[in-house]
Order: sequence, then C-alpha cells, then structure tokens
Amino acid sequence: MNNIWIMTWYTLREAMARKVFISFLIISALVLIFMLVIFGSNTSIDIVAGMKNAKLNLPMEQIVSQLELLIISPLTGLCILLSIFASASFIPIMLEKGNIDILLSKPVSRDQLLLGKFFGGLLVVLLNIAFLVLGVWLIISIKFSFWNLSFLWTILLVTFTFAILYSLIVLISVITKGSTFGMMVAYLIYLILSPVLHLANNNIDMFTSSTVVKSVVKIFYYIIPQTSEVSGTITRNLALGNAVDSYQPIWISLIFLVLTMGIAISVFRKKDF
Amino acid sequence: MDFNAIETTGLAKTYTSSFGKKTVSALNNFTLQIPKGMIFGLLGPNGAGKTTLIKLLLGITFPTAGSAKILGEDISNFKVKSKIGYLPENHKYPAYLTGGQVLHFFGSLSGMTGDNLKTRIDELLKIVKLEEWKKTKVKNYSKGMMQRLGLAQAMLNDPELIFLDEPTDGVDPIGRKEIRDLLIDLKHQGKTIFLNSHILSEVELITDRVGILNKGKLLKEGNVKELTARKEEYKIRFESGNEYLLSPELMEKYSLAKTNDGYYSLKITNSNDLDKIVDELRAKGLTIRELVQQKDTLEDMFISLINEAEKENKQ
Ligand SMILES: Nc1ncnc2c1ncn2[C@@H]1O[C@H](COP(=O)(O)OP(=O)(O)O)[C@@H](O)[C@H]1O
Ligand SMILES: [Mg+2]
Repeated sequence: MNNIWIMTWYTLREAMARKVFISFLIISALVLIFMLVIFGSNTSIDIVAGMKNAKLNLPMEQIVSQLELLIISPLTGLCILLSIFASASFIPIMLEKGNIDILLSKPVSRDQLLLGKFFGGLLVVLLNIAFLVLGVWLIISIKFSFWNLSFLWTILLVTFTFAILYSLIVLISVITKGSTFGMMVAYLIYLILSPVLHLANNNIDMFTSSTVVKSVVKIFYYIIPQTSEVSGTITRNLALGNAVDSYQPIWISLIFLVLTMGIAISVFRKKDF
Repeated sequence: MDFNAIETTGLAKTYTSSFGKKTVSALNNFTLQIPKGMIFGLLGPNGAGKTTLIKLLLGITFPTAGSAKILGEDISNFKVKSKIGYLPENHKYPAYLTGGQVLHFFGSLSGMTGDNLKTRIDELLKIVKLEEWKKTKVKNYSKGMMQRLGLAQAMLNDPELIFLDEPTDGVDPIGRKEIRDLLIDLKHQGKTIFLNSHILSEVELITDRVGILNKGKLLKEGNVKELTARKEEYKIRFESGNEYLLSPELMEKYSLAKTNDGYYSLKITNSNDLDKIVDELRAKGLTIRELVQQKDTLEDMFISLINEAEKENKQ
C-alpha cells in the first residue's frame, strides 16, 4: 500500500512539472478571478433580476445550478482533453530503458508500480477538477446564498470519465510502450465513438430497420465505454439534482475500467524489459 | 546464513521478436555460484548476454529455462530486493527531480523513511562527490555525474549485494580510480559485488573471480590469478656474471631462451619438473636470483578463449 502511495505521489509531482496541468490550473484560476470580478460588482444581480423580468420564472435553485453548469461544462471537457494528452506519457516514461530497470530492482511489485501510476493520474485530474468546481461553486453559492450541494457530483463524475479513458491508455501503453496509440484511442472514444453510439442507440429506429445492424450497434454501444453519457446526461442530472434515468452507463464503464486495468496488470506482470 | 550470494541453475533466456519469427538466444544453460563477500566480474564482448543475466536475476526479464536464487531467495520473490542495489547500464532518472530528490524517491521505494533516509542521502552524495549538486535538477547533470548519482542510488539502502552494469562507462580516469576504490571499500564492508564489464584491464585490478561469457555461454569461470597463469612457463634471472655456466645443451634441454630484459624463459611440460630443473641448474653452479611464473593479462586469456570458442562454432 505504501509503495502504491509513493508512486502515486511522485506521479503527481511529475504531472505538476508538466506545462499542461499547470496551464489548466491557471485557466481555472483565471476563470475564478473573472467570476469574482463580475459577481463582485453590483451589475451581477441583474442576471437574476433579468431572468426574473424575462418572466422565465425559474426557481432560484434552477438558475444557480444552470449557471454553475454553464460555466463548468466547457472547462471540464477541456480538462479531460488536456489530461488525456498529458497523462498518456506517464506509463511510457516509466517503461523507458534505464528507468524501469531501476524501479524493478526495488522491493516493489509490478502491480504496485502500475497501480501507483494509475492512481497518480487520477489524483492529478481530481485535484484539477476539484479546484475548478469548488471555486465556481463557492463563488456562486455565496453570491446567491444558495448552496447546491449536488453540483459537487461533477468532481467525481469528471474524474471517473477520465479514469475510464486512462485505464485504456494504461493498457495500451503497457503493450506498446508508447503514448501515441493510447492517446488516439482515448480521443476517438471520448470525442467520436461514445457520442455517436449514444446517439445511434437512442435513435436506432430512425437509422435502420435491419435487426443485424441494430444488434451490431447495440454490441458496440455496450463494449465501448459510455463516456458520453457519464460525462454528459448523468453528470448534468446529478448536478442539477434531477433524477437519473439510468445508472447503467456507470456500471458498464466501471466494469470496463476494472477489466482493462486487470488485463493491463497481467500483461505488465509478464513483460520483459 | 551459509548460502551463496548468487546461485543459478541452467538459467536461459531466449528473446522472441514481437512477430515470433526471429529468436535471439541471449543466455544459455548458465550455471554459476558466487559466494558472499567477493567482487565478481562478468566479462564478455558486447551482446554476450551480461546485461541479460543481471536482468534475469532482478526480475526485470524472465527466464525461459532454469532457476536462480539471490541471497538465498528465489528470484521471483521481489521482497529480497530490499537487500540489493543496482546500477543499470543506461540509467535514466525522472528529469523533473533534483539529485537529492531522485535519491529520496528510490530510497522511499526501498522502504527507507524520515531522518534515516535524509542523513543517508547526504552521506552518499558526499561519498560520490555530488554534495554541491544535491539541489540541481538531474536533467542538467553530465554523463559522469549521472554515473556517480547512479552509484549513490545503488548503495542507498546499504545493500548486501550490488549489481553494477558497466559502472565506469563514461567516467574519466580519475573517476574510474575513485569507483574502484569505492568498490574495494564496499568489499571490505562484507558486501558482494557483481560487476559487468568489457574493459578487462580494469576488472583485473579489483575482481576476485571472473566469468567469461560469449554469445550467451559461460566459457570459463575462476580466480583471476588461476585464469591468467600460464601454467608451464617461467621466467628465470641468474646472478649476473654467472650465465656463462649455461651450456648450449642445457639451454636446449629445457628450452631456455634469453629474453630482452635479461631474463631466461623456461618451458616445462610438467610442473613437478620444476624442482628437478632448479636442482640441476644449481648443481652446475648457477645462482638463481628470481623465478616467476609467466602470466597472461586477462585480455590475452580472454581473446584466446573467445577465438577458441569461435573456432569450435565453425566446426
Ligand atoms: N529486449 C530484447 N529483445 C531482443 N533481444 C535482446 C533484448 N535484449 C537483449 N537482446 C539481445 O540479447 C543479446 C545479449 O544482450 P545483452 O545481454 O544486452 O548483452 P551485453 O550486456 O553482454 O552486451 C544481444 O544479442 C541482444 O541483441
Ligand atoms: Mg550490457
């Protein structure tokens, strides 16, 4: 356990030495400062007043949580994109000749090395997202004196979305010892496959009547981790305090994550360096 | 406690390329025991399989056949590595860390903590003369500094058994001498040192035993003195002004030949004859001032061994 923590801690330090993660922290900080300036001035009350005047007549909690999500959503997307980019090289760097040799000569098991790198990556993203979400949440909650606790679910769900993709990056980099392929697959799933399959599965009857095509779409829909729903509708509903239609994408993605990490560990255990 | 530091039985490694077409037999039926407390040198040309052997022993690569123990434990037990140090041939350290932090990282992984680790780091940086570089990022280190940091890393946990793969690679002559002194020092502390090298003259200076590896096969193993001794060849020096007593018949009988440096070389077929010859020479009135057994350098022996092996391969 201790060894995993050491690896996790040094992965965090490695990440912090990277420009990408620091850049994201700076972007987050700028957003927070910008919000402070806007909401700090008197004009800001006009937002709510404006919404009321427009006879939108939304309840206060809806206005607050919608506003929070509006600010957060593009940034969490950005965070995942940047994190994939920055974390794709964690494992390949560890596996470099001369580096892995020393690590494996220490009284540390291979499982511990890999898990430490995995949790390290998660911790970085968790901290990045937590900083942003907590900051936004605090400013808006204080401003409108309404504390929408369910908004904090975003921290966990965004990190979880990253975890799913990162597990695949870990597996692919253990096999290829490189970062490119894993990164490409993660982007492909997050940006294209998962959203498209989500859409196709929901509107399957519009596309085709062939049962074969339908089953193929269904199979892919279940095999490919459903990051689009986890980071989309489910995050949204949980953040707004609404009911979630189905937690199934979470379960399926979790199974995917555990399986992928399991395979990654068993491949790593047998690997020659 | 009476076990060998390293014990291998029929250890073998065949690398298979990713497509399974080409195979390289890097190590072949390798059996060897290395007792504790000595400096052992494994010699061999590039590609002989020296690095592969160390990697097998440390669980970095897995054997295709055979088994091995280090410090009495099977190599599959990773816990034994808390008593081991390793300097790989091309070592890399996390570039974002300073020299001191690198040692802290690896020390923690070896189970060291707190002040204990901190004092040990300072102590080692001093030994390898890097105290002033403790707070410099390793990406700014020179090759020689990296090598010294690597040595510090390998000694961090006060290991019983240290593996060094080409430790003097990229180090200047003074640095080399310092490393040799350091290794001798470690030996005196009772540590076992396993050294890989292709620089024979250097190994000769410090090792107790050597093994000669070529194309994955252990050609010879033994004491440096034994291996380099040319059994039946001696050098004799007589009292000066005495040499006229050497008759041509006598010279021929023992195939004595004068060498440039004033010595006579003596070839015999059986070492038991040596006493007889000395007696006979003395009976002729010759006074012997010096009698030494001829030695090959490790390099001579090495080259002839490898050549022999190559010849056998061709047949
Ligand atoms: N990972 C690997 N994959 C395939 N072949 C390898 C690998 N590592 C070493 N070899 C081959 O094994 C042989 C022995 O290499 P090595 O142990 O590095 O030799 P040495 O350290 O004596 O120079 C060489 O022919 C080398 O090309
Ligand atoms: Mg080598």
